[in-house]
Amino acid sequence: MKYDFLDNRLLSRLSTLPIEARVPMMGNVAGKHRSPHRGSSVEFAEYRKYVPGDDTRRLDWKAFARSDRFYIKEFEADTNLRAYFVVDASGSMNFAGRGEAKIQFARRIAASLSYLLVNQGDAAGLSICTNKLHLEVPPSRRAAHLDRLFSTLGALAPSGPTGLLEALHTIAEKVSQRAFVVILSDLFTEPAALGDALQHLRYRKHDISVFHLLDPQELSFEFDRPHRFVDMEDNTALVIEPNLIADEYKAALRDFLTAVRAKCHDAAADYQMVLTDAPLEPLLREFLTARLPKSKH
Amino acid sequence: MLFLNPLLLWFLLAASIPVVIHLLNRRRHKTIHWAAMQFLLKATRESRGKKKLRHFLILACRTLGLAALIVAAARPIVSGLLGWGGGAIDVVVLVLDRSASMEIKPGDGMNPRRQIVLEKVREAMKNLGSARLVLIDSASGLPQEVPSPDVLAELSSTAATDSSADFATLLTRAAEFLAETPGRAEVWLASDLQTSNWQPENERWAAARASLANLPQKPAVRVLSLTGATAPNASIRLLGSRRAADELLVDLEVSRSADSQVASNLPLTTTINGTRTTETLIVPGQSLRFQKRLALPARSEAGSGWFSIPADGNPRDNAAFFAYGPALPTKSVIVAPAGETADYLALAAAPPGFGNQHTERIDPSQAASLNIAEVSTVLWAAPLPTGAAADQLSRFLAAGGQVICFPPGTPPATPFLELNWGPPTPAEKDKYFILKDWNHNDGPLRDGIDGSPLPADRLKAIRRQIPLGDASQLARWEDGEALLTRRIVDRGTLWFLASTPDYTWSNLGDADVLLPLVQRILALGSERFDASYLTTVGSDATKTLPGQTRSRLDDFGSPDPANDAYLAGIFKLNDRLLAVNRSAAEDAPEILSRDALDAALTGTGYTLLEQAGQASDPSLSRDVWRAFLIAVLCFFLAEALLCLPKKTTVQVIPTLVKAETLKS
Repeated sequence: MKYDFLDNRLLSRLSTLPIEARVPMMGNVAGKHRSPHRGSSVEFAEYRKYVPGDDTRRLDWKAFARSDRFYIKEFEADTNLRAYFVVDASGSMNFAGRGEAKIQFARRIAASLSYLLVNQGDAAGLSICTNKLHLEVPPSRRAAHLDRLFSTLGALAPSGPTGLLEALHTIAEKVSQRAFVVILSDLFTEPAALGDALQHLRYRKHDISVFHLLDPQELSFEFDRPHRFVDMEDNTALVIEPNLIADEYKAALRDFLTAVRAKCHDAAADYQMVLTDAPLEPLLREFLTARLPKSKH
Repeated sequence: MLFLNPLLLWFLLAASIPVVIHLLNRRRHKTIHWAAMQFLLKATRESRGKKKLRHFLILACRTLGLAALIVAAARPIVSGLLGWGGGAIDVVVLVLDRSASMEIKPGDGMNPRRQIVLEKVREAMKNLGSARLVLIDSASGLPQEVPSPDVLAELSSTAATDSSADFATLLTRAAEFLAETPGRAEVWLASDLQTSNWQPENERWAAARASLANLPQKPAVRVLSLTGATAPNASIRLLGSRRAADELLVDLEVSRSADSQVASNLPLTTTINGTRTTETLIVPGQSLRFQKRLALPARSEAGSGWFSIPADGNPRDNAAFFAYGPALPTKSVIVAPAGETADYLALAAAPPGFGNQHTERIDPSQAASLNIAEVSTVLWAAPLPTGAAADQLSRFLAAGGQVICFPPGTPPATPFLELNWGPPTPAEKDKYFILKDWNHNDGPLRDGIDGSPLPADRLKAIRRQIPLGDASQLARWEDGEALLTRRIVDRGTLWFLASTPDYTWSNLGDADVLLPLVQRILALGSERFDASYLTTVGSDATKTLPGQTRSRLDDFGSPDPANDAYLAGIFKLNDRLLAVNRSAAEDAPEILSRDALDAALTGTGYTLLEQAGQASDPSLSRDVWRAFLIAVLCFFLAEALLCLPKKTTVQVIPTLVKAETLKS
């Protein structure tokens, strides 16, 4: 296998599950996702009164025969989906406590979902952000595009402070058409600012999913001796007896998680807290299943 | 504090192990690159205060627990004298009570209190290292340097005596000594807290406290209280002795411990002039007063002897010594005009048949020429003396004579020694002045030695003259006015009786009251002749004058010649024969209350060591390793409690789910 973050058997098992958009998408070609516009699919949408200028071929003559009025029969338009995978490449994503590194887990999620999207005819793009959005792979439906995307993921070397918020605002500004934005980050930033960025995306009517990557050690904070903690983003150091501050640490982390959830909820974003020692397949399967329309269950 | 295994104290260094481990742990930290730094910084800011205090408490508990364990293993012994704060003391002034009461034993087979406290002081001084020990014993009252605490018990100045103690004076002496001795000092007062030795109301305490307060460096005062249970004890005391011709009348009192309720037989040994006889005395209760008549050898001019009871809890109170001289006639003088009063008084002062009692009447106008050299009592039934007569009578009183004044029936004139008569007062018609109550324990109207009262209630008067002035009342009329008053004048006594043996005054002449009253006052007056043979330990009479020598005549007990001046016994001071007994106050069982002790030593910040005299604790040192073991348990228990996790630990998420989805 060329890329260690790709698992063929996993992809083949997941390929039976489609990736659905929660909101109507505005693609550039026909696809399998709902569009906000009326189109020519077989899916009936609604009747509306005939107004001069309407194509008379779309008149429902049976309805005219029954009611002696002209009605236009409208059908749903299907379009494709364009996905943007926003991967946080700050130094903190390099942390690997009890699980694998958060960046590696992000690679696996982004690569797997990209593959599934392109495989079902949708476009997948990539945005890498450190302290600023510095690398973008524009979305494309071509299979050959995946190689470029995977190689970009494989070459990721997280470092420095996070630029996630700026990246999200940039995407919200640059991507004018509705898209599927998948955020892969530990979200170690101010929850209020994160909420603003998510609201910005929401305002642009993007479908947002957040994979919140955390290492189990960050949650449990269990140590048996004093440690010198070195910040992975700015290298500041702190010598601490962990047992002394464990409760306060956990309380602060709990408050942070609660706030992040609330912000995601306010922005109508899918929120998934992901522990890096968790198996990937159940996580993705649950994610994909949850996105299926209710009528298709 | 002493240690039986002091070498183990080196292991106290091990108490620092928890601290060392803590410091090493801090130094041997592991470096970890951490992502969630923002929570660490926040937690660090918030975790100061209680958490750190808790951590330090845990560390302290571990350290103290280890230290206590090692100290317990070293077998600590704490001295009650020094407590926990025995530190650098330069001088210790030991004020030792050597009074007779200190010889009582806390229990059968144990040492007397005095020896117990000396042993404790010796042990305590060892802990003080190079501190000087200065002894002020209650007998001599003089400071004396003690070269080594080991010889303390062997010094003659710490041996048993029959003397009394005056702690106010002794404390003043200690302060005077410390005024000239620089350095940190302590004053240890070793006493059984007998009230008679402390006299907390004595004005000298104010001077003693002031002396201590004025010292440049205030000494710590510790009272080593030697109270508590004692071995069963009986004591014998000489109340008085009087020679009557060829007999010696000796008043004795035998007392037993306060808890003695059942009558018991007590062998009483009488030794007189070397002849010893023993008889059995039945003591019905706690105390028995009785009079013993000793037949003296024919033509015996002078002699001595003692009464003794078997050895018991206190060997110092088992003997009463007496001495006597040639029989002297009891002479009295009646100063009164001829008449009924003078006749009755003559009959009372020298009843027919009492060959050794003589009385003489002189007219009041000749009172100034009164020869008082051999007179025991003056019965004055005339206007109070003035001028030369008053001076003569004052000298007589100062020499120990007794004067009883009867109302003259004349209006008040010049007072005598600030005492005077009120105006003569007749009783209301068909009524009498009746004696209401009188002192049954003291004075010439006291009950007999067998406890039977005088028939004084038969006294009725139709006329009276009330004594006025500062004197103690011993009997009162029905209306509360004084009938009999007493005024102590130097060694003598001045009595005033509000009626006179004259039927125009009262029935006092019927002899029910007058005879015993006059005879008892005569006996008191005679004592000034016999009293020269009796004295108490420490009195002026026992002191030798320059050129005098003292030799002991009796062989009771085991006399210590070095302490002869402070011992009871029979002594000869040159030609003077003297029976010396312990002070009556030494037999008084009253113990100083804590309030009284506080009052006496107020402002000195004294420490009372009450356990000093307990029989079960013969030394002041106690093995206290158990207390340290308990401390170990307490420290480790506290450490365990502090280490217990909180009941509600903070959960970041309710359960550690591996993934969670929030539906928006």
